[in-house]
Amino acid sequence: MGLLTILKKMKQKEKEVRILMLGLDNAGKTTILKKFNGEDIDTISPTLGFNIKTLEHRGFKLNIWDVGGQKSLRSYWRNYFESTDALIWVVDSADRMRLSDCKKELHALLVEERLAGATLLVFANKQDLPGSLTAPEIREALDLNSIKTHHWLIQDCSAVTGENLLNGMDWVVNDIASRIFTMD
Amino acid sequence: MSSEAKPPSKKKEGFLRRQAKSKTDYISEEELLKKDSVTPDDVLRLGKSTEKYLCPPEANIYGIDFTRFKLRDIDSNQVLFEVAKPPPSYDAEDQEEPEVSDPDEDPNAGRFVRYQFTPQFLKLKTVGATVEFVVGDKPVNKFRMIEKHYFRDRVLKCFDFEFGFCIPHSRNTVEHIYEFPKLSEDAIQEMVQHPYETRSDSFYFVEDRLIMHNKADYAYNGGGHS
Repeated sequence: MGLLTILKKMKQKEKEVRILMLGLDNAGKTTILKKFNGEDIDTISPTLGFNIKTLEHRGFKLNIWDVGGQKSLRSYWRNYFESTDALIWVVDSADRMRLSDCKKELHALLVEERLAGATLLVFANKQDLPGSLTAPEIREALDLNSIKTHHWLIQDCSAVTGENLLNGMDWVVNDIASRIFTMD
Repeated sequence: MSSEAKPPSKKKEGFLRRQAKSKTDYISEEELLKKDSVTPDDVLRLGKSTEKYLCPPEANIYGIDFTRFKLRDIDSNQVLFEVAKPPPSYDAEDQEEPEVSDPDEDPNAGRFVRYQFTPQFLKLKTVGATVEFVVGDKPVNKFRMIEKHYFRDRVLKCFDFEFGFCIPHSRNTVEHIYEFPKLSEDAIQEMVQHPYETRSDSFYFVEDRLIMHNKADYAYNGGGHS
């Protein structure tokens, strides 16, 4: 189980980690969350609210919040910023039509004061689909190189096959840990 | 018994915070029944399962409704138990209320669930408990759940989780994945031999006011799920 693998690597300094997963609708946020936790992904419907996974193990806590990405829900995203250690931005790499939308929404989040200091992972999802853009292409399209305010990484992945999900999450937890240690 | 039994310890600011002032600073059900409004600190100080409900069903003015509950064994990824409420039907031909609870006319029937599990259930290591709930037309702030599980007067497990904000008309899920409290052989024997003496109280708060209180009891002497 992915979460358990991640949680076992957490150190004393990060007793409780909160990860917020956002992105446009149909990016695959819920599928990532479920696949990562060994759940069935055949019957996923649009998220009209949030899905939370919380894991506790040996006194450590890991909380992941997946909030729906439909346009009507995006104005509520800010209600979930508080205490966020990492933001995971999920991109449908095959949805070329909405990449500019995707870029706009992401950059709007990065100026949010309550997300300042949060680690940013961009999942270039749906790599299993023919015609999907590669991670470097997504990086270009979202202008990630201009981001100076957050530690960021782009990771290509496929929620359906599970490919690279663990790599991405691993990086997130390591980055949070290094940040907390530096602040001491 | 295990560290699981204690209220959650140090919390990050603004999230999952607060706990009982001390483990021994107990409060009685009688005291709480006299209060206008019950707070999270109050129920964290309860030392055993309550006899009564600490708020009326009408306290839930937010239309929060639990629509699904699922329990899975993380190690084998098997669903152990799942129950879902059928969506409300507005079909004129389908006016009949489904019989979901006790035939007795208990106004609290919908707030109580009885579970029947096998003894093997007490030997699980890691389980995931999912609940799904819907929210009415008002936004909900600072939604928090505290759930306490007891065998007789012993706290087996205490969950304390703050959902925070809930979007109007939303459908939300939360899965708590946790290690099952480690129980001695003797404790398991006792729990199996004394059905329904394992109980839980689930308290739900909005802005630190109790708005829902649900109860359950458990038997572990079954040959299968009932």
